Amino acid sequence: MIVALELLPIFQWLGELLGGLGLPASWIDPIRYGALGVMMFGILAVVALFLVWWERKIAAHIQQRFGPMRHGWHGWYQTIMDAIKLLQKEDVRVATRDKAVFFWAPVVGFVAAFLAYIVIPWGDGLIVADLNIGILYIMAVTTFTVISLLMAGWGSHNKYALLGGMRSAAQVVSYEVPMVVSVLTVIIFVGSLSMVDIVKSQQGLIFNWFVFRLPMGPLAFLTFIVAATAEANRTPFDIPEAEQELVAGYNIEYSGMKFAMFFLAEFVNMFTVSAVAVTLFFGGWNGWEFVPSWIWFLFKTLLVVLLLMLFRWTYPRLRVDQLMEFAWKFLVPLTFANLIVAGIFKYLGWYW
Amino acid sequence: MAELRTEEFVVNMGPHHPSTHGVCRLMLTMDGEIVTKIEPVIGYLHRSIEKICENRTYAQCVPLMDRVEYVTAMSCGYMFAGAVEKLGGIEVPLRAQYLRTIMLELNRIASHLLFYGVTAMDIGAYTPFLYGLRERELIIDLFEETCGQRLTYNYIRIGGVSQDIRPDFVPKCREALNVISAKMSDYTGLLNENPIWIHRTKGVGVLPADLAKAYGVSGPNLRASGVNYDIRRNDPYLLYDKFDWNVAVRPNGDCFDRYMLRLDEIMQSIRIVTQALDGLPDGEIMAKGVTVNYKAPAGEVYHRVENSRGELGVYIQSDGGKKPVRVKIRGGSYNSLMVLPHFATNRMIADLVAIFATLDVIMPEVDR
Amino acid sequence: MGILNDLKALAQGLGIAGKHLGRHAVTIQYPEQRDEIPERSRGMVVLLSDKETGELNCTACMLCERTCPSSAITIDAPRGEDKKKQLAQFIVDHSLCCFCGMCEEACNFSAIKLAQKYEFSMLKASDLIWDIKTLQQWGKDVPYEDTRRRKNPVRKVGAAAETEGANMTKDSEPEDGEEKKPARTERKDKPAPAAEPVNKEEGQQ
Repeated sequence: MIVALELLPIFQWLGELLGGLGLPASWIDPIRYGALGVMMFGILAVVALFLVWWERKIAAHIQQRFGPMRHGWHGWYQTIMDAIKLLQKEDVRVATRDKAVFFWAPVVGFVAAFLAYIVIPWGDGLIVADLNIGILYIMAVTTFTVISLLMAGWGSHNKYALLGGMRSAAQVVSYEVPMVVSVLTVIIFVGSLSMVDIVKSQQGLIFNWFVFRLPMGPLAFLTFIVAATAEANRTPFDIPEAEQELVAGYNIEYSGMKFAMFFLAEFVNMFTVSAVAVTLFFGGWNGWEFVPSWIWFLFKTLLVVLLLMLFRWTYPRLRVDQLMEFAWKFLVPLTFANLIVAGIFKYLGWYW
Repeated sequence: MAELRTEEFVVNMGPHHPSTHGVCRLMLTMDGEIVTKIEPVIGYLHRSIEKICENRTYAQCVPLMDRVEYVTAMSCGYMFAGAVEKLGGIEVPLRAQYLRTIMLELNRIASHLLFYGVTAMDIGAYTPFLYGLRERELIIDLFEETCGQRLTYNYIRIGGVSQDIRPDFVPKCREALNVISAKMSDYTGLLNENPIWIHRTKGVGVLPADLAKAYGVSGPNLRASGVNYDIRRNDPYLLYDKFDWNVAVRPNGDCFDRYMLRLDEIMQSIRIVTQALDGLPDGEIMAKGVTVNYKAPAGEVYHRVENSRGELGVYIQSDGGKKPVRVKIRGGSYNSLMVLPHFATNRMIADLVAIFATLDVIMPEVDR
Repeated sequence: MGILNDLKALAQGLGIAGKHLGRHAVTIQYPEQRDEIPERSRGMVVLLSDKETGELNCTACMLCERTCPSSAITIDAPRGEDKKKQLAQFIVDHSLCCFCGMCEEACNFSAIKLAQKYEFSMLKASDLIWDIKTLQQWGKDVPYEDTRRRKNPVRKVGAAAETEGANMTKDSEPEDGEEKKPARTERKDKPAPAAEPVNKEEGQQ
């Protein structure tokens, strides 16, 4: 059920324009899809740039200083200047690298980050493609980042990068399990994997949101947000990026635009997991009608992003073995227990 | 089936550090993630201060002593001045002694605030660094208004102090101390009960008391291992035996105790400074008869001070001339660094970072 | 329960960080805003000039050169044909100077001071070696308390003769019944080498 292409007037106009130009019908749809993809890419690039700026400002104000102030009002185009700076840096390539793997690692990471946005519901009727396996598709696609981490670690021909890449791959894979199981806890009550259905089942009052409605909603949200922080490689789980650790991360041999791709992919990933959290737990784009639905969605997602940023700038870092222990010995049993309780509740009908 | 053979490899935790420990090089032999051997390589910050002092008059040595350990420069200045006064039998006026005590304790608070920030940053929490430095600014501003410099003061001279405090020093100092005690709840609330912090520091890097004593570790590192030894109490100098304060001791000797002990010491130092400000007498600030060309009588003396990092001591040998014959300085960080390979091995590298951070080693004192 | 305590501690940490979000920053935007420098702050070394004639106050007594622990000051003061002291050149090497202020304390003639200025970074290290003209220029607008009992600047030759106001001050006679000078930089009772009345011969050792 494709929604955006049909409903958004700009794409209808584009379709008529192309039809009027005399193009055969089999060409019109791909061109319209292509235009939609370019628009999504543009939106996400702007979102990523905004998030980078916002993180620096939030971090600065938590620490009672100013952050970027020079480029524009309160430094709003600082990120654009940083991107231009990274563009003109020399692309340092290790001579003994594995050429294809080294080149494709940032591309794979970048693509994997963006692929998830096919099913993110930005508002009422604003979704690229409402696949009926929506949430499962997101969980599957976000796992692609593991491949990019391993490729980056291997292709750099650097034993520390390899160790760092394997550590972060192990971390991401371990925290997939609690994340998926927390999602399942909510899906049991929705009955469908489609993102639009999930949002629609939270319509109505604020108490219809799954975080308040379900008896295990808050716990599922907490475990989801912890697992999502680990997925996005953010403190307190940012072993791969920490400078104080000796074995540096997977991206130490990358410079210039390749490094920028990893960096942007991380922020896009952060936005993805926040958007998924909002869709599942906070009612998606539901809200008072006097404000358009996409504003509600953005507002709620940015609040969850703010929470993730607060985590980063408040908490110290977990040690690697403590991280894995926390995932396997604590989160996995907890989320499974939560799921079983949710199943019992659904079976007995003890929910509203 | 062939046995899996793993190799140990040597990693250089190089002189350049992401954290402000100074230029210290640690050669780590690692087996996978575990550190099996640590070898510190020092000397990157050696400035031959002791040799230079042999060619300077006693008054000219005083600004040089600030550079021995610039985070607590007041203690270093007092260490030297106190040694020469012991050698020459100079009587320091009471007001100067009060001022010296106040400055030394304020310097201790500033140093421990810096420790708090840097340790938190090493373990991954970035925000406490800025909070600690924000409070340290209050103390540094006080120093700048009194003697003109923020880090290397040249304030404590042989025979007294160089300048009297300004009239607004006492109220500003009290206000700064109030702010710091109020903010301590912020500091402790951010980290003390944080489960991540506790997992990273409790039980990690236990320094046994007998090992610490065998290596001559002193100061907060020793007291965190349960040994009740503080030079201000055991071998008093200045006015410490006149004030009412406690020696902070902690039983376990792990990273958490070393961190908590320094926060305890900040509170005790606030007590001392408050009492000193209350009892500050009028009078002179410099002993009579001490000029710039002071010549110490022949003899030798060893004078020690309880620095934020341990026992800071100087041995001066004089033959009655204008310049000392030999000046030997002893810093507490040296012993803390040298005991590191003996209790921090067989741990993961993240633990080594935490242990090294809580030992509060400052390299200028190690290398001089 | 342990878990609840942990959650409470974590939330408390978030609260402490979050409450700073609304507070004003404690930093300033340098160089548009500058911090107020305290009066006693020790910055660059400058040579002071007489407030009326503009001549350098220095008498080439060499006390600052001897006191400096870093040997940053070099004074060229040859004796003239009449065996009187002359000042030819005064060089301060700011790359050696450790800003301790001992030269300012040693000077009895309000001739050298550590001004409050701190912005003097140069691109080349050799640009940090300042001669007498540069030192006088930097010291032009530095406020100071003139504690000399009378003005007896030395004759200036060579490079010093090209400074402003060189050789313009007349030797002024000591006034009758003048009192002891106020202490320099608010110090009390520190017996400086010039506690006794100074006459020309003793000051020019």
